[in-house]
Order: sequence, then C-alpha cells, then structure tokens
Amino acid sequence: MTTRRDFLRRTSAGAAALGVLGAPALGAAQGAPTRVPMKLTYWTWENPQQRPWQKKRIDQYTQLHPNISVEFQYFAFSDLGKKVSVGYATGTAPDGFTTGDWLMPTWLTRKLIAPLDVQQLGYGSLDAFRNDHAPAFVAGAVHEGKAYGYPLWFYGVPLHVNTKQFREVGLDPVKDEPKTWEQLGEVAKRLTIKDGSKFTRQGFKWAMHASQWTAFQFNPILLQCGGQWFDKHGKCTINNEAGVRAMTIRASIARKYGAEDPADSLATAPVPWMDWLKERCAMFSSPPIGPLAVKPINPQMEAEGYYKAYVMPGVTEDKRYSTCYGFNCVVNANASKEKQEVLHHMYRFMMSDLRDCWIATAPLTLARKSGWTELPEVKSTPNIEAFLRAKDTGVFLPRTPVWSELADALHRAVQKVMLSSGDIKQVLNEAAAEVDRATAELKKG
Amino acid sequence: MKRRLPGLRWLGLPPLAGLTLLVLLPVLWMLSTSFQASEKMFQLAMDWIPRSWHPENYPNALHRAPFPLFFFNSIVVSLVVMAGNVVFCTLAGYGLAKFRFPGDRFALLAILSTLMLPLEVTLVPTFLIVHSLGWLNTYQGIFAPLLVDAFGIFLMRQFVLGVPTDYLEAARIDGAGEVRILWRIVLPQCKPALAVLALFAYRDSWDQFLWPLAVVSRDEYRTYPLGLVRFAEDYGNPQTEQMAVAVMATVPVFVLFLLLQRLLKRGFGLTGLKG
Amino acid sequence: MRLRLWGVAFVLPALLFFAFFKYGPMGWAFWLSFTSYDMLSPPRFVGIDNFASLAADPVFVQSLQNTLGYIVASTLLITLAALLLALAVSTPVPGARACMSAIFLTNVMPIIAVCLVWRFLLHPHGLVNQLLAPFGAGRIDWLTSDTTAMPAIVMVTVWRFAPYFMVVFVAALAAIPAEYYEAAAIDGARGLRRFRSITLPLILPQLFFVVVVAALLSARLFLMPYIITGGGPGGATRVLSMLIYETGFSYLKMGRAAAISVVLFAIVLALTLAQMKLFMRDEEA
Repeated sequence: MTTRRDFLRRTSAGAAALGVLGAPALGAAQGAPTRVPMKLTYWTWENPQQRPWQKKRIDQYTQLHPNISVEFQYFAFSDLGKKVSVGYATGTAPDGFTTGDWLMPTWLTRKLIAPLDVQQLGYGSLDAFRNDHAPAFVAGAVHEGKAYGYPLWFYGVPLHVNTKQFREVGLDPVKDEPKTWEQLGEVAKRLTIKDGSKFTRQGFKWAMHASQWTAFQFNPILLQCGGQWFDKHGKCTINNEAGVRAMTIRASIARKYGAEDPADSLATAPVPWMDWLKERCAMFSSPPIGPLAVKPINPQMEAEGYYKAYVMPGVTEDKRYSTCYGFNCVVNANASKEKQEVLHHMYRFMMSDLRDCWIATAPLTLARKSGWTELPEVKSTPNIEAFLRAKDTGVFLPRTPVWSELADALHRAVQKVMLSSGDIKQVLNEAAAEVDRATAELKKG
Repeated sequence: MKRRLPGLRWLGLPPLAGLTLLVLLPVLWMLSTSFQASEKMFQLAMDWIPRSWHPENYPNALHRAPFPLFFFNSIVVSLVVMAGNVVFCTLAGYGLAKFRFPGDRFALLAILSTLMLPLEVTLVPTFLIVHSLGWLNTYQGIFAPLLVDAFGIFLMRQFVLGVPTDYLEAARIDGAGEVRILWRIVLPQCKPALAVLALFAYRDSWDQFLWPLAVVSRDEYRTYPLGLVRFAEDYGNPQTEQMAVAVMATVPVFVLFLLLQRLLKRGFGLTGLKG
Repeated sequence: MRLRLWGVAFVLPALLFFAFFKYGPMGWAFWLSFTSYDMLSPPRFVGIDNFASLAADPVFVQSLQNTLGYIVASTLLITLAALLLALAVSTPVPGARACMSAIFLTNVMPIIAVCLVWRFLLHPHGLVNQLLAPFGAGRIDWLTSDTTAMPAIVMVTVWRFAPYFMVVFVAALAAIPAEYYEAAAIDGARGLRRFRSITLPLILPQLFFVVVVAALLSARLFLMPYIITGGGPGGATRVLSMLIYETGFSYLKMGRAAAISVVLFAIVLALTLAQMKLFMRDEEA
C-alpha cells in the first residue's frame, strides 16, 4: 500500500515541500526507506532530559518501522568520545552517534564521518540547510560544500543572576543589567559579602572545574578583545596583546573587584552551577538553566522564581556575545549505504516533533531556527529571549584538531593565574608554547 | 602459657577506637549523606545525623538505573576472578617460593613486569584479542584478562616463603607426591595468605572501571562502576542517591572481608607438627 | 632435577596466561612508542621522535618530577601506616578486630565516592580545616594551592591504601608461631627490641611485598588525582599515569602515550630491581 506520505517522499517535489514547511506536522513519518530487516547501533551521552527523549523518539521510530531495530547505548559524557575512538580503532564503532560540536574537526580530518544528504533530511539545498540553522553550528558541520552533522541542541551561554540577592543590595534586575565587563565587576563587587577571609557570598564566579568550561567562557572574551586562537599560519596567539587583555578581564573579577574566590567552589562536573544554586554566588555564566535543574537543589528558588538570564557582557555595550556550542548527530563513514540512508531517515524523524522536544528538554535551545520558536510552550518559558539571543549571536569554539590540548593548556594557564598568582603574560606564553607543540606533534602524524 | 602477640601493648581500646573513628570520617560522611534529602548535599556545616531521614534514597536509586543487574554482573565477574586467582596464583607463588630452577629470579621479574605498564596503553591490543575471541559484551570478555594477576602471585610467593622447607623435605623423604605436599602441608599453613589473596582478587576486580568500559556497551553486562559513573554524570540523579549506591557497593566486599578475616587469626603456625 | 621440573610446572600456567594476555599487548605497546598512532588511522613509524619531543616538553618533565615524589612519598607512608595499623589492631585488646574491619572499609568505598567526599572535606571551609582550626592552622587551600595539593593527594592515597596493606601485615603477624614470643619472653626481650629482632625478620617477606606493590600501585594510580584535582593546580598533581591517559584518550596520541609508558616502565623496573636487591639478599638460596 502506498500512502500519500510515501508518494510525497519519493518525488523530489514532495521532499522539497516537506522541507519548506519547516518542521513537519506532529508524527508525520516519511515512509519507510527500506523493507529489509536492519539492525543499527546508536550511541549518545547521558543527560537527564536529553537522553531519555532521544530514546523515546527512537523507540517511536522503530515501532513505526518494525523491520528496523536500533541498539541504543549511552555513556557518561566524558566517556563517549573515548568509547567511539576505541570503537573506530577496533572496528566496533557505532553506525550513528552524537558528538560534541568541538570534536567535529577530529572526525572530519580523519574522514570518519559520512557527508549527509540534506535532501533526505528535508531540505532542498545546502543553502536552505545553512539558513535554517544557527551560524555557530554551520561553521562546524559544513565543510567543503557538504554537511556532516545534523544538529540537536545548541546553546548560548547566558549570564544567570539571582534576582533576590540583587534586590537585597539595592540593585534593580532590569536597570542594573551588566552590559560591559567593568559593569559586571562593579555589580559583582556590590553583591559580595565577606566574613574575614571567607566569602559568604561571591558576586560572580567563573567555572574552574573543567577545561571545557574554561575554554567556552574564555572564547568570547578573547574574540571581543580582537584576539584569535590561531593566526593564519596555525601558530597559537593567545599570548598576544589581545590575549593578555582578555585574561586580565577574566582575572579582574577576583583581582580588581575582589568579588570572587577562585579556590572556593563546590562545582562538580555534573552540576557546575552548584555554587549559584546554593546561593553562594549571585551570578554565574552557563548554558541555559531551567526549573528542572534548579528544583532538586534549591526548591525555593524554583518555586519563587527569583532568577533571571541575560546575554553575557562584552567589551562594549554593543559587542556582547557568548560561545554557542552543541551536539550533532553524525553517521559513521564505514556504515553501509543502506544503514546510512536509514540513519538519515531516523534522524529526521527524531527532530520532526520539536514541540515534544521542547517539553522534554526545555530550556535547552535547538540549532534549528524554524518550527519551534513561535510555539506557546517556548514563548512562555522564563528567560527565553535571553537564551535565544545568546544562541543566535553566539560564536563558535575554535575549530581545531588539537581542541583537547588547547582546552587543557588554557585551563592550566587559568589555574596558574587565578590560584597561584601567576604573571599573565608569562603564563600565556607557556600555554601558547604548549599548544604549538601539540600542533607540531599532530603535523608529524 | 598465655600467647602474646606483637603489638604496641600500651595502646588500649579508647585510642584505637578514636583513631578508627578519625580514619572512618569520610565513610561516615558517605553513610550520612546517603540518608539525607537532596538539597542537603554539600552543606559545609554538615548535619552528621540527618535532621530528616530519607531511606527512600536507596530504592529510588535502584529504580533509576538497573543497579540490581549491574551488581549481579559485578558479583559474577568478581567471583570468577577470585577463583581463578586463588588457583593460579597459589600454584605459581608456590613454584617461585619453594623451587629453584634456572631463570626463577627472572620469572619473578617477568611476572612483576606485567604490572608496570598501565592498562591505557595495553587496552587496544587486549581489546583486539578479546574481540577476536568473540568475547565482547560477555562475562568471559570481562574476566578473562583478570584471571591471573601478578599481585596475587607475588603475594603467595612471599607468604609461602615462611613455610619451613624442612617439612617439605621430610614429606618428600617419606615418599609424598608434590601435589600432595602442596595440598596437605603447604596450603593448610597458608590460610591467612589464601584469605588475603581471595579478598584482594575479589576486591580489585570489583572496582575495575576502564577495562569493562572498553569491553561492554550493553546494559546487560555492565558492571556497577560503569553504572555508577554514568549515574553520577546525570545531574537529575541527586547526589544523595549516588551515595546510596556507593554504600550498597561497599557491602559485598565488606561481607567477604568479614567472612575471611576469621582466617587471619593467629594459630596457623607450627602447631601440631613438632617431633 | 625432578624438583626443578616441578617448579617450572607450577609456574607455567601463569606464564602461559601472561604470554597470551599480557606480553603480547605489552610488546605491542613498546613498538607503539616508536610510532604515531591516533587510534583512528593505522600507526606510522617515527623512530625516537616521541621520546625526543617528550624530553623537550616542560609538561612531561613536570609530571615526571611529580610522579617520582608521589611514588616515594606514598610508598614510604603507606608502608609505615600499614605496619603501625596492623600492630595496633593485632593487640590483644577487646574490639581490636572490629576496629580492623572498620578501618578496612576505607579501602572498599567506591573510588568515585572517595574522591567526591575528599574533595568536599578538603574544601577551604571544609571539615579538615574546621578540625585544624583550634590548632591555629587558619585557612588552607588544600587542593588549589600548589604547595599543598600534592601532599593532599598523597594523604588521600595513604588513607585509601594503608588499610589494604594493613591486612597483609595482619596476616603476616598472625602466621608468626607463638613459640617465638614465648622464647623471647623467657629471654626478657620485649617492646621495640622484640619487634626488631623477632617480628621484623619474620615479616620481612611481606614487608618486601608491601614496599614493591605500594610503589607499583602509586605508579599506576591516576583516578584519585584525576577526579580530585584534575592534575591541578597548574599541573602540580599531574602524574605520569594521568598524562598517559590524557595523551592517549583525550589527545588521541597513542604513540606518545606509549612512549610515556615506556619511561614509567623504566622507572618502576629500576625501583623494583633495587627493592629486589635489597630484600632478596637474605632469602634462602
């Protein structure tokens, strides 16, 4: 039996029509790509909202297409990359998996992921695909005229503030929104409460617990100062004047305004915003935080709603942006043609009900521009304008195959500056040298 | 005549108990946290005795992830590893301790050398070996490389050294076979050592993380450390429940310890073999 | 002759097992140290490049120094603590056995819980500082100051592993026949002298074991510094085993990681040989 949907899919006009409509209507399957029984493996990372939702969608997909079965596996976030690498090394890598957008160069330079057919994903052309997604995602996934990733969530990094604490010290959460780094420092200073050498409350905290966070928090500051991670010859330039200025800004909250105690933090990898949730600091920069994350640790804050998000400050009021990063679905280049086709189909199905996605994973924003921002559920989410603006104006992380070394070198540099009172220029010189060594190592292999 | 043990005899119970308590503070913290409400996690001014008890953290944790299955898998793997080590390490340790043959010192060094390279660099080839045997995502895939551990061999060697060789030689003169000598004379005198070997083999296998992570990608064979790390990464799982799982994970090895530590009592020396 | 064959026969099963599961992979790892390998494409031979670049790498040198310090400090302190604990719980005091069991719990706690708890206890305003406050210690940033971070990691390592080796010593002490002490008592020897002339020589094999194994363990261990301080601050607690893990799995430079392992292997081998020389002098020929 040929359904209307099967027929539409098989004609290119139909495919374009579905694409032009943006998000297809609820539950609209595109018809089976194959009748042959097929087993696929799909690996993703653990997250309390994102993982169960992906599983649910994939289960719905396999129910609609009983000839297809998917082995769904998930791993701790930091382990996923390792499992996939060991998988590739030993021929046991999954057919489809999700990857952080910063790892795209790793897979791309070694041709481990397959180019995607955007038509099978519902877009008439690559340009249509490009225009429908946040620029930060496109920069990472589109390479030499082909798309290699199909995005899931992409978020900016807004500034979260505790509005109750603002009012306590006589600040107005709307009028006193920090728009420049100096304003951030001043506001943080006013919010700080000290008891001897102990900070009862820190005004603003930077994340110190993981190199990933250090990198995406430093990224926009560097770019705002006019700096670059690498020059056109591939040499690391974080130690130039712009880099020093950026690091000085980062250190200023503690050094100049006395509003932060870098050694005093309760942040852990699963809950980096712990200090902010426990009201030990008034402001924190992180991906969107919503009621689901707040409630288990600070039910009062969630119930009374005394938190607000802004776009991060900038060097000037009009040059404000944060990093935008996220996750892509990719396809193993070694998977068979039939499996690749089915994966396209499955990915498209997964992202065909964006309202359902929002309900499950709010306030984590999507890379796609169309088909969800006008939904009432989205518009009624607290702080949604700030989240969307952060995502759409966010800059991407440096595209480099030595991403991990870069993040680690930067992380060590920040520790030396903030915890050991290191000299900024010298510390940045050491970090740049480390990155250059890593790049040289890579060029050999 | 009353037997006296070596020891710092001036150490009465109160100082010993005090020291024990101090050493145990982190464990008590873990125990206490496992019964707390999730908002109470990580309060710097801690309530050692929870103001409100939340024993439901335990069944809640068990339901959030298939921990009963993970624990079962860990128990199966650890028991097999324990058995393998007890058998093979005892044989090899005995051979190295009481027999001289050309290259015996070198054999000891060669055995110890297997402990000198970290698993990270031998992971890929070991994985390939296991994969070629078709043992990915199976119990044997997890326990096979762990069946004999150089620690155990070295441990048994050192303990068996303490068995006086005279007894062995006397038995040989009497015409006893080597296996009989091992079984009837050496092993009974090594009960404390065997207890320690069994305990350590079980315990080391229990905590293994990197190797099972590489070999297993399906829940049905996951061992508890993999489950716990994945559980911990999910900020929707309160850390109080993480602590509950950690407390539960402590139980099987501790029970084994309690069972075996009776064998660590004195009295397995030279009794009854004089004359 | 017959005995020699028996000796070989007893040891053979273990050696065969190792030949299959260990020596092959170890050999591969050695070969790998002369290649560049990112796991995602086949290895490429590069000669001694990896070693040369390591020698010129300040991060490697720092990790090497950290590791040496860590191994020596941990081994000595673990051995000492384990011996003292074993002596303490072997006293004929009621409840000593219960204390031993309780102390052993520290070794059974899952490592991720250990790291979480200690991170919290060593917080600038955490319990350890609170307990030390009456002694005038003031605020110590245990995990974020480069002078105290490594000592803190050593402390947690000793806390974690002394009970493990305590059990070995308890077993060793239990195996000492009572007659020896009876004879000593008749001779009037007691306390430290008895310990030195009777106990210590009799537990020498286990002392050898503890020293060698504690050194091997601390050379391989990386989960504790990795989870507690992430190698920080600024690399002060980065040890070679952690560098190997990062280089291999995060940076995908397996050849380089293998080279670092070879260096670590050489260090541990040298240490073990020295220990063997020291302890095996007195063994029966």
